[in-house]
Amino acid sequence: MVEASRRSTSLAPEPGSFRDWDGRVFGGDGRILRALSPDGFADWEALAASRLFERFRESGELVETAPARDEVLLEVQALDPEGGWIAVLDHERLPYVSYPYEWSFSMLRDAAALQLRLLSAALEEDLMLKDATPYNVQWRGAQPVFVDVGSFERARDGEPWPGYRQFCMLYLFPLMLQAYKGVAFQPWLRGSLEGIDPGTFRALFGRRDAVRPGMLRHVFLHASLERRYAHRAAEVRSDLQEAGFDRRMIAASVAGMTSLLAKLRPSERDSTWQDYDTTCSYDERETAAKEAFVRRAVGLQRRQLVWDLGCNEGRYSRIAAENADFVVAIDSDDAVVDALYRSLSAEGNRVILPLVVDLANPSPPLGWAGVERRSLVGRGRPDLTLCLALVHHLSISRNVPLREVVRWLRELDSEVVVELPHRGDPMVQRLLGSKREHAHPDYNRGSFEDALRSLFRVVDSLELASGTRTLYHAAPA
Amino acid sequence: MLSYIDPGAGSMILQALAGGVAGAMVMGKLYWSRIKRVLRVGRGKSPVDEPRA
Repeated sequence: MVEASRRSTSLAPEPGSFRDWDGRVFGGDGRILRALSPDGFADWEALAASRLFERFRESGELVETAPARDEVLLEVQALDPEGGWIAVLDHERLPYVSYPYEWSFSMLRDAAALQLRLLSAALEEDLMLKDATPYNVQWRGAQPVFVDVGSFERARDGEPWPGYRQFCMLYLFPLMLQAYKGVAFQPWLRGSLEGIDPGTFRALFGRRDAVRPGMLRHVFLHASLERRYAHRAAEVRSDLQEAGFDRRMIAASVAGMTSLLAKLRPSERDSTWQDYDTTCSYDERETAAKEAFVRRAVGLQRRQLVWDLGCNEGRYSRIAAENADFVVAIDSDDAVVDALYRSLSAEGNRVILPLVVDLANPSPPLGWAGVERRSLVGRGRPDLTLCLALVHHLSISRNVPLREVVRWLRELDSEVVVELPHRGDPMVQRLLGSKREHAHPDYNRGSFEDALRSLFRVVDSLELASGTRTLYHAAPA
Repeated sequence: MLSYIDPGAGSMILQALAGGVAGAMVMGKLYWSRIKRVLRVGRGKSPVDEPRA
């Protein structure tokens, strides 16, 4: 009884799911539930009867979904009596939620391709996708999973795809920004959750850019039609219907966008970290010792969630994955994360999720009421955090005092495996070389160990053979 | 019944453009209906004043 009442109080509406009145997601106690209006329920029945539902669920690209038991509907109705919900679906819970402003180029492109494949399959079975937002895609390791079954609706004759504009704003334009201008899309998407509107995006390009694939139609013409027909959606909709617009035109448009996506490549640019592992100063013996230390900490017990901060090529994420349900591999360099994603994707990895995050400025809570998109930590704390070859970058390159770095790690409330390159380490000397003499007086082994021991219990430590780096395995004190 | 997001008028028209010959015919009809409407407005019978069935 106690358990039942605790259950009903912890179920709550998901703060990011309120835009569509035909459905609402509720979460709590490890459950993800989707409540449906009468119209939403009819759309769901049409989807559940389709071949695409079975096909994409089996491949793992559509989230596991089944009707919930009757008492769950009563629970949701009691929680939200004004909602008018008549049915509830039970979803599989994915291990860690991420957002498109944390994805690399190839991740956004693969999510876009999944969106188009779903639309194309939907059209063949008289279904439609009512929107096109990457927030509806999550990851099972390196596999994109479409999580919003509420996006499917019964198609209506003579209507264009309502999600096309959103697809441009949140998928196509950010990818073009990176492919054609060499500008990272992540900061823009983080700043503008709705994406980049056609008029704004058009303003970034000159006439000569019109020859690049997709630019003339999706950007130049799009922006000009949008300006000319502003606020005339209802009129245009009925005109198109009368003029005989039909679904085959959407299919043709989807085919065009699919081949356009395949042509988009991230522009070549220098990445400081791309070849870090091959060019950095470790010798093989030292790497083996470091791997063995990490493997020992990882092997002590099975963890649900491991974070690998400053993951680079993912060597230690893979070691962590040997004994963890899920690993989030984080690096601030989008080129490095993209290379890691591509290799994980090629292997069919379902355990390691690579993300682009600058740890000196991690994703904050964003959106409506400041709760719609959650902070990095707010989406699930790790049981174990790897922080290897990172502390000196935060402390020296980004000027975060060493003590603050340790305090931030403590706030994660997880065990840590942390590496401290000493002041005499060649890499530390290189970073200090661009600062004035005697800069960062706090950066030394003594103050690091004091900070660590004041907040953690050190379980194990190892000074590497070079004598310039020490590894610590510590648990919160 | 409308979608829960604004599909954008210009964005809707653009989709007919991708539709090959059939799309071109739709575009043609679309502009023809606009021309007719302008002529009707010219005769003082704005579609805005006409109640829709």
